[in-house]
Amino acid sequence: MLEARNLRKSFGELVATDDITLEFGKDEGELVFIVGPNGAGKTTFINLLTGFLSPDEGSIVLDGDDITGMSANGRVDAGIARSFQVVKVFEEMTVRENLRTVVLTEQGKTWSLFSMADGHAEVETKVDELLAKFRLEDAADTLAEELPHGDRKLLDVAMSFGLDPDYLLLDEPTSGVSTREKEYVIETIVEVGRAEGVTTVTIEHDMDIVTEYADRVVALHQGTVHGVGPPTMLETDDELRRLLLGVGDDE
Amino acid sequence: MPERVDRDRTPAYRFLGVEVTRREAAFLVLGVVVLFIVPDLTTVSDSLQLSVIHQGLLFGFAAVGLNLLLRHTKLTSFGHAAFFGTGAYATAVLARYAGVQSVGLLLLGAIAAATVMAAIIGALSLRHTGLYFALLTLAFGQLLYAIALGQSALGGSDGLPIRPGPANQPLLFGTAFSPDVYQVLTYYLTVVVILIGLFVMYRITQSPFRNALDAIGQERTRARFIGLPVRRYVWAAFVVSGIYGGVAGGLYAVVRQYVRPEGTLFFLRSGDILFMAILGGFRTLVGPLIGGVVLVFLQDVGQDVTQYYDFLTGVVLLILVYGFPRGIVGSLRSGGIVNTRLNELRREPSVLSTWGRTAVQSIERKVTEALTSLRIILFGVD
Repeated sequence: MLEARNLRKSFGELVATDDITLEFGKDEGELVFIVGPNGAGKTTFINLLTGFLSPDEGSIVLDGDDITGMSANGRVDAGIARSFQVVKVFEEMTVRENLRTVVLTEQGKTWSLFSMADGHAEVETKVDELLAKFRLEDAADTLAEELPHGDRKLLDVAMSFGLDPDYLLLDEPTSGVSTREKEYVIETIVEVGRAEGVTTVTIEHDMDIVTEYADRVVALHQGTVHGVGPPTMLETDDELRRLLLGVGDDE
Repeated sequence: MPERVDRDRTPAYRFLGVEVTRREAAFLVLGVVVLFIVPDLTTVSDSLQLSVIHQGLLFGFAAVGLNLLLRHTKLTSFGHAAFFGTGAYATAVLARYAGVQSVGLLLLGAIAAATVMAAIIGALSLRHTGLYFALLTLAFGQLLYAIALGQSALGGSDGLPIRPGPANQPLLFGTAFSPDVYQVLTYYLTVVVILIGLFVMYRITQSPFRNALDAIGQERTRARFIGLPVRRYVWAAFVVSGIYGGVAGGLYAVVRQYVRPEGTLFFLRSGDILFMAILGGFRTLVGPLIGGVVLVFLQDVGQDVTQYYDFLTGVVLLILVYGFPRGIVGSLRSGGIVNTRLNELRREPSVLSTWGRTAVQSIERKVTEALTSLRIILFGVD
């Protein structure tokens, strides 16, 4: 279980994360969606969990161990992977090389100076599996920077899955993706996540997607937890609807 | 600028993990043959001097090491002469104060000293990236230069001779040779070391370690978030690249039998090493080596022709950056700019006039821009 305990983070006057306590993965492999208006502190929260930022106060606990002071790469080893809102992949590598790099790292082979990067059979198998799962076979030998946006998002997520995480934190995996491709991206994530029992925490703005796929919804507002509940919360909680959509029932 | 190495090329030969196409194999053989017959060539022509080519190869070898950082981690070190100098001075100190005579032992000493130095400087300067990293490496390089200059035990600005033992020179295979033979033999030693060094570097650039370095160079944040302890990897690459500098410096000392701060540790030597990598083509394996020979040769010829030989290297640098950013080897390889242009010319000779026009136009544009800027600077108006 991945827990945030009384996390607090401010940037100058702005309190981005204000005493957040949450837990993920009590049910292994659950799909949690984080919703909230712009500036609610969603990305900051993910940044704190993954070690991109360190909190001013509070702690992060993974399966009972305090990992608040652990380095970002240490947390990846411990099983927490993430993706970024703006795609961060290795642009001058092909799709296959991107995934190969990830799998080599995950299997602890990157200290090998004299083996062939493409000569580790178990790595190549894993890379092929990832290509198939994320339906990237046709683009395997395309440079990352030449991929269409939807595929870039998929590659980004595939790389995170390639790390064999127990927890996967995705920062708007569907942002900037066309409506048609959105379904495709999120379905792939859900499919692979479910199949591998990965607890997935996703920031998402599209409420249709959240309603359709979420096991649990966390709503953030002004750095605090507005509410945690089933996706039906989006229908029943009028204040939340007003926050998210700018509309209420009295409209 | 993505690195478009022919990813779908079909290697014709495979040996010890080295895969080459026919064309590459031909160049490889040609290159090795040329390297081995250089001492013969220099007896034919007066303009070719063995010592010049030898020195070019040695600095070029340091540039091959520097290139591991430049090409993959995208870090620009302005202080690689530090390792060249450390290797050279370690050799001199061992010969002078410990009486070590064997070339092999002297070189081992150079490697050990450069490794330690690179480990220390790397640990201290790799806390930063970009400009600050470059400045720190420059600063450490200057620090070592100042130490060599100021320490009387290191000979100050006069430097140190490497003339151990009764034979007054380092021993190869436990034997002293006449000066001429010694020069040729050490040259062949350099060739062998370079071939081994290139092979090792080739294998490194095919290894998973290279993937880690590329990842760090291309997207540092993501590299951390796939679990790479970034600084440790960059540090390891820094040490490896420093070792290449140390080996080159050690050989330099053995060959010249004299080390001076100016020739080894001065910051302009660091600039040279960086220039060599870019001149030869830093996206290639052998480019930096060729860049080394070409630059040292140019400087040598330039010195004979004019006392403003720095002007010459300046012009070469400008032509390079504007016309051939991929360097000598990068431009000549298949798919490089030279081959592409030649093919165009063969297919349709009339493109020549188009090129002429575009060249004139771009020069006109540059001149106009420059004049406009000048006007703005001088008169404050456009």
